[in-house]
Amino acid sequence: MNFSSRTAQLLHEDHQATIQVVEALEQVIARAKRLAPDVQDSAVHRALDLAANAIEHEIKTHFTFEETELFTRLEEAGDVGIGQHLRSEHEAILPLGLRVAALAKSALAEGFSDANWPEFKSTSAELIERMYSHIQKEEMALLPMLDDLLDAETDMELAESYSNTL
Amino acid sequence: MSFGASFLGGANSRLLPVSIPLRFFLLGLVFQAAGWAVLLTNAADLAGFNGGLGPVLAAVHLLTLGVLTMTAMGASYQFLPIVTRQALMRFWPARLSFWLVAAGVIILAYAMARLWPFGLDLGAGLVAAGLLIFVILTGDNLRRASGVPVVAAHGWLALVALSAVVIAGFLLISDFRSGGLGDHQAVAIFHMVLAIFGFMGLFAVGFSYILVPMFALAHVDISRAAWAQFLLSVFAIIGFLLGVQTHRGPLMIASASAGFIAAAIYIWAMWTSLRAGMRKRLGVSFLLIRVSWGFLLVGVFLGGAMVANVPVPNTPALFGFVVLVGWLLTFLMGVLQRIMPFLASMHITDKTGKPPLLSSLTPKRPLLVHAAFHFLAVGLVSVGIVVNSAILIRFGAASGLVAVAAFAVFSGHILVQLRKR
Repeated sequence: MNFSSRTAQLLHEDHQATIQVVEALEQVIARAKRLAPDVQDSAVHRALDLAANAIEHEIKTHFTFEETELFTRLEEAGDVGIGQHLRSEHEAILPLGLRVAALAKSALAEGFSDANWPEFKSTSAELIERMYSHIQKEEMALLPMLDDLLDAETDMELAESYSNTL
Repeated sequence: MSFGASFLGGANSRLLPVSIPLRFFLLGLVFQAAGWAVLLTNAADLAGFNGGLGPVLAAVHLLTLGVLTMTAMGASYQFLPIVTRQALMRFWPARLSFWLVAAGVIILAYAMARLWPFGLDLGAGLVAAGLLIFVILTGDNLRRASGVPVVAAHGWLALVALSAVVIAGFLLISDFRSGGLGDHQAVAIFHMVLAIFGFMGLFAVGFSYILVPMFALAHVDISRAAWAQFLLSVFAIIGFLLGVQTHRGPLMIASASAGFIAAAIYIWAMWTSLRAGMRKRLGVSFLLIRVSWGFLLVGVFLGGAMVANVPVPNTPALFGFVVLVGWLLTFLMGVLQRIMPFLASMHITDKTGKPPLLSSLTPKRPLLVHAAFHFLAVGLVSVGIVVNSAILIRFGAASGLVAVAAFAVFSGHILVQLRKR
């Protein structure tokens, strides 16, 4: 099912891209368990590459757009709770995403050490779980609301401005 | 209290106080334990059960009213306002309906087991009053819903079926007490088929179209399949009931076949959702849900076999057990272990003020123990019915009790986290 709002559709596509990163990370952790994985392994390398290059962009751009353009509009329409809750989740996810991206960059350059692998594993695990739950809420509650919230003209403007940031 | 308390709520109050849905779910667990306990102590009566007052009928109603209906009410009060984006009219009637149905089920089940006529009237009256409130609240919410027509259609038909089930229930009680009903067996079948497939079945299927894509993060258009399944289900239920009342075997068999196709379409739609879902690892809860779909097909097949006079031993009891426990209860327990931590997470924060991790609210070991013993219970009791073995049924009921205990540990963990934070 596609969303009728173009903005919702773009955010949904973002979610799909983020899930790919999160799933790749989840597989690396599941396969490696306690021992640090070999970063030359193609699947591990791909996951780290995605984490290093995509997470920061995906999260920062996506979150900023939602907070400045969508939650404010929802609040003006009288729906304060959803924006407050999703903002609090953004605050929890953003530092995790940035830390995982930094650790992935370092691992790509120097491999994992006994010191940074446990941190990468635990931070990624928390990021994965929070991200799934967050996307679930946005897909279930936020994106369907945009169909009602945005008129065709506003939807077009927002979708265009968001596309330009991608 | 976190921001989560107002998520999906805010001015519209679409998120209920967590105590409302949880009380339905937790009492459902108590009734489930009671149902298995009654079966444990009356195992010899199950295989040959074909209706009539007594402990087995009490166990059936502990399961249908106490567990399945109670949980459907709690889930409906919480999730319909979210899905329909329409707030519940008032909170207090939901609480009142809980107390009425809770008291009614206890009295009704006791009266059925002990053949207590006044208790039958009193218990049924209380349950009916609670269900009337449920029908009004849910009907009001569905009336204002516009974005989910196929789910609303399932909901409306389920409410109509529930009303007819209650009326048929009163007729049966009146007949137990003073007679006068021309064909008790036909009304009993009407009551049972409409309760299982009309009310609880359509409710479970309608909610699946929301919950399964939500859990799997799936956005795939299954509305055509859902409408096809809905129309076939309507034909199957009405056709079967007409066939029973007019004693037309071919109509009953045709209806059961339509029901089987409807079930297959529903399962296909669910698999399509899961395949398209962004979330692939869905854990033990979806093991239960997937297995429950298998039992749905087996149950409908057994129903058809029963009317076609296929010689399967103790078919009435086997059919009832497979659809009520194998399909509906298994499905419900799979769904509950996803929505209870989710709801709790909306109401609490962790030590650092962040929303809690769902994994911190979902202890895995009790859920694995629950799944293992639940499946063992379903398997042992089913085989016990077929081979007419009270011992197997007793072991199965004991396994069911262990499963409930494991689920109680899981639920207790969530309650502790809610109180701590």
